[in-house]
Amino acid sequence: MKAMILAAGKGTRVRPITNEMPKPMIPILRKPVMESIVELLRTHDVQEIVVNTSHLAPVIENYFRDGTQLGVHIAYSYEGYMTEDGLEGKALGSAGGMKRIQEFSGFFDETFIVLCGDAWIDLDISAALRQHREKGGVATIILQEVPHEEVHKYGVVKLDERQRIVQFQEKPKPQYAVSNLINTGIYIFEPEIFDYIPSGVEYDIGSQLFPALVGAGEEFFGIKMDFQWVDIGSVPDVWAATRMALQGKIHGFDMPGKEVRPGIWTGINVSINWDRVKIKPPVYIGSSTKIEAGSKIMGPCMIGANCVVETGAEISECLISDYTRIGGMATLDNKLIFGGECISPDGNVINVSETQIRWLVNDTRRVLNPSDIHDMLLFNNMLSFYGELELEREKEMA
Amino acid sequence: MKLSTHTQGEFTVAVIGETRMDAAVAPELKHQIAQLLDDGATRIVLDLSQVTFMDSSSLGALVSLLKMVGNRGDLIIAGAKGIVAELFKLTRMDRVFRMADSVDAAVGAVVA
Repeated sequence: MKAMILAAGKGTRVRPITNEMPKPMIPILRKPVMESIVELLRTHDVQEIVVNTSHLAPVIENYFRDGTQLGVHIAYSYEGYMTEDGLEGKALGSAGGMKRIQEFSGFFDETFIVLCGDAWIDLDISAALRQHREKGGVATIILQEVPHEEVHKYGVVKLDERQRIVQFQEKPKPQYAVSNLINTGIYIFEPEIFDYIPSGVEYDIGSQLFPALVGAGEEFFGIKMDFQWVDIGSVPDVWAATRMALQGKIHGFDMPGKEVRPGIWTGINVSINWDRVKIKPPVYIGSSTKIEAGSKIMGPCMIGANCVVETGAEISECLISDYTRIGGMATLDNKLIFGGECISPDGNVINVSETQIRWLVNDTRRVLNPSDIHDMLLFNNMLSFYGELELEREKEMA
Repeated sequence: MKLSTHTQGEFTVAVIGETRMDAAVAPELKHQIAQLLDDGATRIVLDLSQVTFMDSSSLGALVSLLKMVGNRGDLIIAGAKGIVAELFKLTRMDRVFRMADSVDAAVGAVVA
């Protein structure tokens, strides 16, 4: 079996993370989601994978290269143009992207699987393929059962008694939903599917191709599979997925680094004074990171590589990306620090350079300027002044 | 910088009429509130409910003002929300300033 990974999306719901990183490259504990997908495909003997890229394509292409390092062959189908200002993506839609590859080389000359590059899954692909062959349709959609009250987030599918797909609903209200089986965005196709995809236009699998199949009376099927599906479609999803991984709730997820204390994993070359740092698991600390004495880290927490957490800093339930310095006065509670932004799961974003708080949260490689140092001293003074006042008040009270 | 003041009980309520409090307004902010202190106001409630962005320099100006007030009075921050409230928390200034959800809450809390 061959595969296509859909990686051309803009990931607007994951901004600002996707301003510099396409969605498939968003890591769950250091490993890009798409890398886990490639590994899963390899486990099921899928060795030839074409990836359609568009938004920030080079980030994906430079990371996966030709796939040799992961034991597979990877090729890219870039959707867009080179302009005076650089690459400009123009995505063709999921089905349009497939058609482009097929017209280019006829790559899909056997059964193939199409899946999104932005969700962590542990699907038994071999079992799904067996069922697809038993059914004998031109397409098979991998479905999952969800609690009835969650159907409004997904595309819902209705099957007949032979598991043929007879109806689609896009994000229905629970009271109108025709079932609680949802489309996971994972499909197995036969090459005949291309008869139904027009060439040279933007065309979507879910909203255009499948309705066209229904319209043409083509038999295609849905199979309900039991597997873990961890979507990273939004900023809160990214944080939720990281938490789950730290808490051991993603089955078969390999923790990076070594478990040096119960529930505490680190990379190599870390500098931590364990006796003088307060850490509550689960916590992951990346390689070449320094945790200074007198700092406090409350898990679940993921601190990237080459970071510095300074004396006095309090970090609780955070995801901190590589090369971040957390100043000693910082209190970070439920935050994602990424690309110079401090992101709250509820959507508030503080840009550290716009708000001029580089004295507090910064890139470890950037040297502080005089105005940063002025602010740092000012706030520091104020905090210690206030601390002394509090002590005096407490004495008076006593 | 847009700033309007009125008295509410024994408090001087200063309402910031700007949405952005950045380096461009920080000196003016400091000057105008310092003027209120010079004019004899000791209990000031600063209403930030219209402010949607604040940077380190404006927060720094507030810190300087709080130092000026010292133990002689109050400088209460009211109505900070969104990333403004986040900035106070991130820098721990929420532990230094008295923070209230609204002007009424600020005035009420102190009276009570």
